[in-house]
Amino acid sequence: MSAWISQFFASYSNIIDLCLLNSLVGYGLFLALSANMFSLATGGFMALGAYCSVYCTMELGFPFAPAVFAGALLAALGAAAIGAPVLRLRGDYFMLATFAFTEVIRVIALNWDSVTGGAIGIFSIPRHTETWHLALAVAVVIYVAYTLRRSYFGRAIAAVKQDDVVAQSMGVNVFMHRLSLFIASGFICGAAGALAAHLNYFIGPGDFGLVRSVDALTYPILGGVNALAGPLIGAIFTTLLPEALRFSNQLREILMGALVVAIVLYLPGGAMSVFKLRWFGVRAGETKLAAATEQAQS
Amino acid sequence: MSTFLQQLVNGISLGSTYAVFAMGCTLIFGVLNIVNMAQGAFFMGGAYFGLEAARLGLPAPLALAVALAGGGLLGMLSELVIFRTLRARGGHRWMGLVASLALARMMIGLAQEIFGTQVQRYPASDLMQISWEIADVRIQLLQVVLLLVSLLLMALLAFVLQRSSIGRAIRTVAFSEDVARIVGVPVGRTILATFFLAGALAGAAGMLLGNLFNVVSPFMGEQMLVKGLTVIILGGLGNVPGAVAGGFLLGLIEVFSVAYVSSSFRDAIGFGLIFVILLVKPNGLFSGFEERRA
Amino acid sequence: MKRSVFALLLSAAGAMAFSSAALSETPVNIGIVQATSGGSAALYGLMQKNGAELAIDEINTSGKLGDYKLVGIHQDDAGDRGQSVNIFQRLINQEKVAVILGPTLATSAFAADPLAQKAGVPVIASSNTAPGITDMGDYIFRTSPPESMVFPGVLAYVKKKYSPKTAAQIYGIDDTLMKSAYAVHKKALESEDIKIVATETFQKGDVDYSAQLTKIKAANPDILVIGGLAEETANIVRQARQLGIPPSTVILGANAAISNKLAELAGATADGFTVGSGWFIQYDSPKNKAFVEAYRKRYSSDPDNFAAQAYTSVYVVADAVKRAGGVSDLKKLRDAIAATKDLEANNGSFSFDAHREPAVTPKVLVMKGGKFILAAD
Repeated sequence: MSAWISQFFASYSNIIDLCLLNSLVGYGLFLALSANMFSLATGGFMALGAYCSVYCTMELGFPFAPAVFAGALLAALGAAAIGAPVLRLRGDYFMLATFAFTEVIRVIALNWDSVTGGAIGIFSIPRHTETWHLALAVAVVIYVAYTLRRSYFGRAIAAVKQDDVVAQSMGVNVFMHRLSLFIASGFICGAAGALAAHLNYFIGPGDFGLVRSVDALTYPILGGVNALAGPLIGAIFTTLLPEALRFSNQLREILMGALVVAIVLYLPGGAMSVFKLRWFGVRAGETKLAAATEQAQS
Repeated sequence: MSTFLQQLVNGISLGSTYAVFAMGCTLIFGVLNIVNMAQGAFFMGGAYFGLEAARLGLPAPLALAVALAGGGLLGMLSELVIFRTLRARGGHRWMGLVASLALARMMIGLAQEIFGTQVQRYPASDLMQISWEIADVRIQLLQVVLLLVSLLLMALLAFVLQRSSIGRAIRTVAFSEDVARIVGVPVGRTILATFFLAGALAGAAGMLLGNLFNVVSPFMGEQMLVKGLTVIILGGLGNVPGAVAGGFLLGLIEVFSVAYVSSSFRDAIGFGLIFVILLVKPNGLFSGFEERRA
Repeated sequence: MKRSVFALLLSAAGAMAFSSAALSETPVNIGIVQATSGGSAALYGLMQKNGAELAIDEINTSGKLGDYKLVGIHQDDAGDRGQSVNIFQRLINQEKVAVILGPTLATSAFAADPLAQKAGVPVIASSNTAPGITDMGDYIFRTSPPESMVFPGVLAYVKKKYSPKTAAQIYGIDDTLMKSAYAVHKKALESEDIKIVATETFQKGDVDYSAQLTKIKAANPDILVIGGLAEETANIVRQARQLGIPPSTVILGANAAISNKLAELAGATADGFTVGSGWFIQYDSPKNKAFVEAYRKRYSSDPDNFAAQAYTSVYVVADAVKRAGGVSDLKKLRDAIAATKDLEANNGSFSFDAHREPAVTPKVLVMKGGKFILAAD
């Protein structure tokens, strides 16, 4: 039995690692979405975290943990820098501005050869990331998200999500709450980028583009933005699906697209809503209200 | 000087395809206040519809009509399958973004399944080889024809929106769905027509670009979607004349940043610019034309 | 948990497929990691999958391996690095492959090959032409000659024939392969004392190269060197000629530009386009003629150099299995592969050099009337 387990782990450890890594990113977006921030900055934050941490370990000789922290910190700084102006934008304008940020970072990475290696990327990166690092990071982030939801801050955020004008008039500093969540989201994505960089020996600018940002958003949305386990479920589902559908090439893309459409259409609260059908009507009403308020404001 | 003029020609012909494509994106936004991420897939679909029609031996104008109709049908499909359901349920707006991206992914997969992953080209014709050299500036007949077709499509859209009854209905729904309902506009059908128009413009742009640059591939829509989003920010979300101006502007910006800065920084300049515009003038460079939702 | 159930089902299905073979046969599992979906990588992946599977069937039918039966296990990584790593892990630990052919892209190789190196499973690439591939370890081989082995010969030929003084370069800045090809081209140009008068870049998905080419036209170079994949190169060549870059400007391409797609997309404008390759279709040997004929018969299209190199890879494996006396010891198999010498292959005889690179003499090919032909001196 133990032989079977070790063989299973040897065969699938990378898939497990990817599930955990994607979950981590998913929680970064979960925080952003909890204040209605549809952010496409993930790719940019991950790139900052990845390149900074690799520079720290390979050029400056940092140990692994401080290097990951440095990467996460740089991404958080990036979030603070762009957050201040970008958070004034609403809805789709916010989305497009964060997308522009990701693309600018990617083009810089392509051209800054001395640090990033350009398109050739950086290879022979030492493999420091272990599965338990990723599991620990996900656990910590879940714990933080859990405590946050039950705190005053969490309730304030819920009010902001519901209706930020009302929240503002109730004395919630909407901008600061959004900014701190955006920075936290940047920190988590940066850490994820740093862990990803030390997982597979190689990074290149192509790893951190639009596709990465969009995938990151689908994890919490598919899993459910109202349930704490949502991002985890969404990330595992999205990571396993292409492996499970490997029997077909093009069909795989078609089926994945169809599944996502089906979930969005028939499980609007994400996959986790299956377990909470009782509250389904209430929450659908909430989102309707949120959508209506947002439209009224734009 | 001749190099400058040549770059001007390059920029205008690139910009005309951007403009046609972006008109569709901005139309949807103007009416429904959403971004349809599947527009890029309609663009690709239109190129394949046009390609198949051309291979069947249809003359170019008829092939273009096929591309228009094909793109339009795909647009209607996205409304019927996704957006109508989401509107009825009152789902959050990001659900539409995610679902339309997934729809695009399905269509790309489907195109790969049907047409293969390789790049294809439109059948060569002698007409495509004609070009003139005026003062060292090369202008192809194809470029001139496509520019004229683009301008025709723009005029056609303006006519439909301003003069036809369906255009009046679209503008009423864009102003307010409730008002439209009160004055008796069939809202559902009007929105469907909007999706048809937007998809048709994307499909036409696909055929135009496929001809101009000799490229039809399942992935051609992905980059175009990014360009389209850039253009509608330049022109202002929901602003149709702004999208036309923004399309030509982006074409020129791209070409001249290659010409006078560096080709490696072309996209950084484009995206840096939209970042700045969003912060300084979020309603676009030409704000204040089209009625927008209150 | 669901996943493991699925894996069990999958391996059960696999076991059933194998058990239908005669019991006396010992299967030799060969992992074929080639992208057959996911964009331009599929152009090269599909060709290599075809070439490898053709060779596997030929060898099994011929019975030259006696009781050993080659079993190709193709997995599509869609050109995505994460998936390449997933596949390598599963092939090594689950399918117990003796050797892995691929992966299609060099970026995938940099991420996945170290796993095989660590596990002691030989890898033979047939499309990675970037530098540094075989430096990853002594289990990594390739049958595709790297750009640095091919391009200097092409340039020497062009220099002798046209004596160019100036050159312009254009390359895909966001493509690992092309960025490294660019560096190789630049170095070769400098060592031949050809002045580089313009350097331009493009990105994946670009279709309009006219702005860059207008700049290049203004610089009026004697030769234009393109670092692009086949489909990109075809369009650059076509647009260059349309913009009025004269036929006297010779256009040179990278090894990856060789594809039957090139002529189809560029048409007559591709005439005179010059590249280097380890293989070409008209190579006059009985072995090559048989290969081209068998390929055409099976796939109703012409093979390209990637198909040929993957085909060669399988013959290298078969030869090594024979000499190593089986696959029970992969270290022995690796040594046998490394010792490959003067194996009859579709481009003459094939050997690995001391760095596990192919020891082939690259040929200079020129496009004429839609076909690559051997350049006349």
